[in-house]
Amino acid sequence: MSTPTVKPKAMIQDNTRCIGCRACMVACKSWNDRPADHTDFFAGEGYQNPRDLDANNYTLITFNEVVTGAKPDWVFGRQLCMHCEHPACASACPTTAMFKTDLGPVVFDESRCIGCRACMQACPFIIPKYDYDSFAPKIHKCTFCADRLEVGLDPACATVCPTGAISFGDRDDMVVEAKRRIAAAPGTYIPEIYGLDEVGGTSVLHLSSVPFDQIGYITGLPKTPMPDLTHRWLRVTAPVFAVLYAVFGALNWIVRRRMRRQGHEGEHT
Amino acid sequence: MNWRIRLTWWDKSLLAIMAVAAVIAFVRFATGIGTIANINNAYPWGWWVGYGIMTMIAIGAVGFTITALVEILGAHRYHSFLRPAVLMGLLCYTSAITMLMVELGRPWMVWMVLVSWAPTSALFEVGWCAFLYLTVLALEFAQVPLEEAGWGRALRILRAIYIPIMLLGVTLSHLHQSSLGTLMALIPHKVNVLWWSDLLPLIFLFSAIMAGPAMAILEHLAAARWLGFAPRMDLLAGLARIEAWLVGLFLAFQMGDLFYRGAVDAMFSGTWLAVSFWIEIGFGLLLPLVLLLMPEVRESRRGLAIACSLVIAGVLLHRLNVAVIGLRVRHWETYVPSLGEIGITLGITAAALFAFGWLARILPIHEELPSPQASLRPATQPAGVLHGAQGVS
Repeated sequence: MSTPTVKPKAMIQDNTRCIGCRACMVACKSWNDRPADHTDFFAGEGYQNPRDLDANNYTLITFNEVVTGAKPDWVFGRQLCMHCEHPACASACPTTAMFKTDLGPVVFDESRCIGCRACMQACPFIIPKYDYDSFAPKIHKCTFCADRLEVGLDPACATVCPTGAISFGDRDDMVVEAKRRIAAAPGTYIPEIYGLDEVGGTSVLHLSSVPFDQIGYITGLPKTPMPDLTHRWLRVTAPVFAVLYAVFGALNWIVRRRMRRQGHEGEHT
Repeated sequence: MNWRIRLTWWDKSLLAIMAVAAVIAFVRFATGIGTIANINNAYPWGWWVGYGIMTMIAIGAVGFTITALVEILGAHRYHSFLRPAVLMGLLCYTSAITMLMVELGRPWMVWMVLVSWAPTSALFEVGWCAFLYLTVLALEFAQVPLEEAGWGRALRILRAIYIPIMLLGVTLSHLHQSSLGTLMALIPHKVNVLWWSDLLPLIFLFSAIMAGPAMAILEHLAAARWLGFAPRMDLLAGLARIEAWLVGLFLAFQMGDLFYRGAVDAMFSGTWLAVSFWIEIGFGLLLPLVLLLMPEVRESRRGLAIACSLVIAGVLLHRLNVAVIGLRVRHWETYVPSLGEIGITLGITAAALFAFGWLARILPIHEELPSPQASLRPATQPAGVLHGAQGVS
C-alpha cells in the first residue's frame, strides 16, 4: 500500500447537489459500527440532528436556513474529517497515534493513544471527538474509510450518495473536477473550493452555492500548514538546549571560581 | 530518623480533602472521565489542564528559578531559599504528573510518550522534559533525606553529579516551560487574539519565571508563620525587588506583543473575553507591580503575601485564558468545571501541601530552623552541594 506510485485520494463534497437525505450518515454509521444516539431538539441556527459530530457520528449533514434572494431556503452542508495534507492533529500527537497514510486518510491507532486529547485541541475544524463515558476512551473521527481504500473500495459515504454530491478519486483529478464544475456553472457555485488551500490543503474539497460561513463551516483559516507554527520552535530544541546548557555551565563555573577566591574553600557550592 | 509528626488541625483538614478527592478519583477510574467531569468535545482541556497541569508546572518553576538565581547567577544570599524551592518544584511536578494520570483517558499507556517518538509534537517534548526534570528534582532533593539517614556513599555520588544535573534541570525547565506555550501556538484560529501570539512559547517561559520568586516569597512567609521562625525580611525584600522587575518586564513584553500584533482593538472591545483579559493584566500584573514598587509593601509580610498571591493568581488566569476561556469553538458549546474536577485538583493540591508540611518538619528544609536531627550529625559535616542546611548563606 505504501508504494511510491500510490496517488493520494480526495473527495468532493458538492453541497449544491445534496438533498439532505443523510444516506451518507447512515452508511458511515453502518460501516464504522457506531450505535444510535438519543438526540434532543435544540433552538437553531442549524436544524440538523444530531447537532454536532460526536463519538458515534463521524459525519453530519447540516441543515441551514439561508436567505437567498427574497426567500429563505434550505442549504445543506457537511461535516467530516478534512484529512489535511499537513494534519495539525497528527503533528500534535505525542505518540504518533494519529498519522496520515500515503493514500490520504488521517487515521488513529488506539494502541498508541494515551488519551491526552491534544489532537482535539489542535484540529482547526474541531473534528476529533472523544467518548468521555468510556472506561478506555478512544478518539473518534472519520477515517476516510482507510480500511476500504486499502482494498480498492471507495469510502462508504461516497458509494451511497444518490445524487452524486460525493465524488471520490485521485486528489489531482478531484481538484480539476471541482474547478470544472465551478467554471461550467458559475451561477450555481460560489467561486471557492473549501479545502483547496485551507491549512495547506485538505483531502476533502467542499463546493457550495452560498458562502461557507453561512452553512456552518469554519472560515478564515490560514492557507499555510498548521504544523509549521510549532515546527519552527520545536526544530531548534536541540541547539537551544546545547547553547543554554553551555551558557549556564559557564556562568556556574565563574560563580564557583569567584566563591573559591573569596575564601569559601571546602564549600563547593 | 524520625518520620512522625504531630498532626495539626491544618494537616487533618488537608487529609480530609485528600480523602474526598480519593473517592472522586475512584469513581473516575471505575466509570470514566465523563461521570465526574464537564470537559467535552469542544473543550477537551478544562480546569484539569489549565490549573492542574499548566499552572502547576508554571509555579513549579520556583525550583529552577531559585536554583538559577543562586547557582548560576551567583546570588548566594538567597541560599536558604534553595531547599524549599527544590522541594516545591518536586511536589508541583509530582502533582502535575498525578493530575495527568487522572486527566489522561488512557493513563496506563502514558509510557508510550517515551517510546513512540513524535518530534513534531510539543506535548512529546513537554512529556520528555518534564519526565527528565522530575528525575533531576528527585536527585537534587534526595541529598536531604540521604544526609539525614547517613547514607554516605549514595550522598557522595549525588554530590559528585550535582552540578551537571543542576544545569540539566535549569536547561530542561526553559525548554518545557516554553513548549507548553508551543502547544497552544498551534491553534491561532481557536485561541482569541488577546492570547494567541507567535511568541506564546516565550510568554509561557517568562510568566513561569515570574511565578518563581513569588512562590519562594509566599513559601517563606507561610513557613515562618506555621513552623515558627522569624522571616528573613531583608532577603524577602530583595526577592520582591527581583519580582517587581520580572513582573514589569513581563508586562512590558506582553503589552509590546499585543500592540505589535494589532490586538489593541480586542483589548477595548468590551466582550467578556476582554474582561477576563483585563482581570488577568490588572490584578495579575499591574496591581502587584504597583504594590511591589512600594518599599513599605516589600517590607511588610501582608503586603508581600498579597502582591505575590496576585502574581500567582494572574499566572493561573493566564493559563486558563489561553487553554480554556479564550477558545473559539462552536458557539453553543460551554464549559464550567464540575465539582468533581475541582475536587480532584483540591485533593492533589492538598496532598502537595501536606507532603511539604510533613517533610519540612522531619527534614532540614529551612535553615532558619534548628535541624530536626542536629544532635545526630557530625559536627564537621561537609556542606553539601545542595548545601547542608548550615551551608553558605
